[in-house]
Amino acid sequence: MPQANNKNIGHWTLTLSNDVQEIPQLNTFVDEVCEFHGLDPLTSMELNLALEEAVVNVMSYGYPKGTKGYVDISAQSDSSGLKFVIKDSGKPFDPTTKEEVDTTLPAEQRDIGGLGIFLVRKMMDSIKYEYKDGYNILTLKKKVNQVINQ
Amino acid sequence: MKTTFEEKDGKYIMHFEGRLDTAASVQTEQEMKVLHNCEGHDIILDCAQLEYISSSGLRLFLGLLKVAKAKGSKVCISGMNDNLRQVFAMTGFTHLFEFV
Repeated sequence: MPQANNKNIGHWTLTLSNDVQEIPQLNTFVDEVCEFHGLDPLTSMELNLALEEAVVNVMSYGYPKGTKGYVDISAQSDSSGLKFVIKDSGKPFDPTTKEEVDTTLPAEQRDIGGLGIFLVRKMMDSIKYEYKDGYNILTLKKKVNQVINQ
Repeated sequence: MKTTFEEKDGKYIMHFEGRLDTAASVQTEQEMKVLHNCEGHDIILDCAQLEYISSSGLRLFLGLLKVAKAKGSKVCISGMNDNLRQVFAMTGFTHLFEFV
């Protein structure tokens, strides 16, 4: 079972297994963080979307099919905004190197895939990838209004 | 996530209610299959009660659009809230669909 723990003020963590059916738990987690900071519905939706896309990417491609793996998500806030860190021990994969999606193509030429990381880029102000000590670490930052100064 | 299908005035209408996230998209994909047999019927996707959509849901909409276009059917989206419209605008989906 996924569980939220270490829920101190200004710092939240959640661990999920590589099963997309656990995405609603991520949604609850992101909503809690957004509510705590009094964010507006649009910003909450943008954060939910970015986090879902980034985490689903790990769940779908990070671990060999049929093997169990985990994704750790943490959130922190400071005066400049919110920072989310997504960490997994799956195969090294840098999502920031994925090609841009051409959003101007007509329906017939649009590819069904590739939108996930594109949306993460669009929703967040910065996205940084590193591979360290056997972990993929993706750091997503977004400037938001009404973040409480700790 | 809940969908309801109806046929009205020769149009195929599907009402979406709730959150169309990756977890819900597997079930929703099955439910949308009824729209794929749309020869001779235009389609309306009623999104007035749709609260959220991620890329897995966008893929379902695009997949349906491709099938429908090939069969000469139009796909219209109705009632979508402003936040979701932003997602559609950002991904270039706004000019793929007709909005009513």
